[in-house]
Amino acid sequence: MKHLLFALAASLALVTTSARADVVDEILDDQILPAMQALVDSSQDLAETAGRTCQPDAAPLQNAYSQAFDDWTRVSHLRFGPTETDNRAFALAFWPDSRGKTPKTLAKHLRDADPALLTPQGFAQSSIAGRGFYALEFMLYDASFTSAEPAEYRCALIATMAGDIATTAEAIQQDWQQSYAAQMRSATGRYQDKTEVKQELFKSLNTGLQMLADMRLGRPLGSFDKPRPKRAEAWRSGRSQHHIVLALQALQPLAVALAQDDDDLVTRLEAAFQKPILRALRLEDPSLAGVADPAKRFRIEALQQEVNDLQALIESDLGPALGVLAGFNALDGD
Amino acid sequence: MTSRRGFIAGLLATGLAPAPSWADLGGPAFLAAAKDPGGRYLLAGLSETGALRFTCPLPGRGHAAAAHPHRPEAVAFARRPGRFADVIDCRDGTHLARLEPPQGHHFYGHGLFSRDGSRLFTTENDYGSGRGVIGVWQVTQGYRRIGSFASGGVGPHDMLLRHSQGGDQLAIANGGIETHPDSGRARLNLPQMRPNLSLLSLEGEVLDVMELNQELRLNSIRHLALSSTGILGFAMQWQGDPGAELPLLGLYQPGAAPQLLAEGDPRLRNMRGYGGSVAFAADDQSIAVSSPRGGLVQVLDTHSGEIIREHMLQDVCGLATANTGLIASTGLGQILALTEGTAKPLQHHDLAWDNHLIRLT
Repeated sequence: MKHLLFALAASLALVTTSARADVVDEILDDQILPAMQALVDSSQDLAETAGRTCQPDAAPLQNAYSQAFDDWTRVSHLRFGPTETDNRAFALAFWPDSRGKTPKTLAKHLRDADPALLTPQGFAQSSIAGRGFYALEFMLYDASFTSAEPAEYRCALIATMAGDIATTAEAIQQDWQQSYAAQMRSATGRYQDKTEVKQELFKSLNTGLQMLADMRLGRPLGSFDKPRPKRAEAWRSGRSQHHIVLALQALQPLAVALAQDDDDLVTRLEAAFQKPILRALRLEDPSLAGVADPAKRFRIEALQQEVNDLQALIESDLGPALGVLAGFNALDGD
Repeated sequence: MTSRRGFIAGLLATGLAPAPSWADLGGPAFLAAAKDPGGRYLLAGLSETGALRFTCPLPGRGHAAAAHPHRPEAVAFARRPGRFADVIDCRDGTHLARLEPPQGHHFYGHGLFSRDGSRLFTTENDYGSGRGVIGVWQVTQGYRRIGSFASGGVGPHDMLLRHSQGGDQLAIANGGIETHPDSGRARLNLPQMRPNLSLLSLEGEVLDVMELNQELRLNSIRHLALSSTGILGFAMQWQGDPGAELPLLGLYQPGAAPQLLAEGDPRLRNMRGYGGSVAFAADDQSIAVSSPRGGLVQVLDTHSGEIIREHMLQDVCGLATANTGLIASTGLGQILALTEGTAKPLQHHDLAWDNHLIRLT
């Protein structure tokens, strides 16, 4: 009971503080910077693990990969500034890959077996389609790569790929630490005022939701007559459902923080996130293969609808509060 | 009391006044449609640096416009499915005439004048048959409809006047998408869709048709730009599944194969499959394409075809060649110069700028 009271008091204190704290500081200090640090740490661990073992089915390697990919997915909506320099986000996450460039690039790497590619510099200059988490997934989970020859080169390539992920994550984090966070806080250079900073964060919230609705859900759903289960994100490693949960869980605190002191909106946002989060958790369909099963498909469609509803709520109620109006040109094309 | 207009009319009658020209307006350089804070639609004239030169109310949402080559007259086209095209005296915003498409047609939002200013051409949908049509209007007879011919495809959208040795040509972006006003903006023919870029004589004779490969048949060729040497830039809008990695910008020199730009560059994804406007920089060394959906403008090198830089701009769409390079407009009211590296704000108006900035030649 004492514990409970203490926890209650602490959470109340937290609420009052956060209501006074600057929303940009709060998002940076409680969300973005810790999440970027987590990505750096787990990517470093992945690189070290892959340096020790390259057995695709080795539990330590799969666990390290899984943790680092989780951490990337949690920040995958923050597509501005540090992630866009030198195409770093694409170097970590080349997906969707509508033309099958990733397996083509990896097959060529193995065919050429060029030692120069195995250096950090050499690999960093290679095709972006062969880099990052989605390429590494092929090496660890796709039968045409997990035992591909030459085995020794494949092993070294896996270590190089993991090292490249760590280097890219580190570069993103460095930019955040050394300059970008400060630029967002001061809002006097790159961003002319705090409103612009909030609009950038709002845009990333939308980017995340759009990615969720159109790519993570929309691509495998295809149409009822033509479902595309093999277009699901990271289906080889059975991470498709998991990524939906991770993305929603990362976007919820961002939306709530941006809603600031509007308690009513915060309540509605939390409810609107809770519905798809619960539904996504209960799908029991790790690779979203259910899109091709009429008995399961409707649950995934319902999830997509809930994400669309969430987007609509954010556009209509959160956007205007941040001075973001529905795009005159962006909304419907011509 | 003699009104200014009456006085001018009198002078005109006596043949003493010089014919009105664009110079009377203090040199507007661009036309653009917009929406004001009260939700009213208008056409505006802008200076080279984006200052307002005139505004003129429109009865509905506009899209693009065409400027008469000599007289200070512009035609503002309604957004598709357009039911009006308003002729405006740009000296004072006087409404001179309203063009209405023939029964069974609607405007697509773009059009142009012949070089001598005697004829106006409009892109239209003959929606009973789904056929793309170019309407021809006699300017000197009060914008009388004098005929029409096939556009060379379905869904003609943007159209430019291109000079060639054989005379002037119409370069027409046949977007390939069939629509019908009864079903709003729904796309009716995706299974058969096949866009093209057609070159027609001013009499409607087909001179050249450029189609892209079959795998790009869902990439709607929608907007055009023309370099000083006659190269056409074309911007596309992808109608297939989101997430496909596709070029959205190409260059076409009739007689040569089209060149697709930035193919394979992952940054193409930032455009979200949508090229909104396209324009060459003043020196033709680069070409820009906007995406309001992605909130950015990409500037590409016309020789290497590579993306040189990106300007992140919320709700950007309008793009035009400016004396200093390129100029852009946004739905948030901004007019910006896209010089090297940064987008420099020139003006901010309390207006939502609509899709296009039209340069007065």
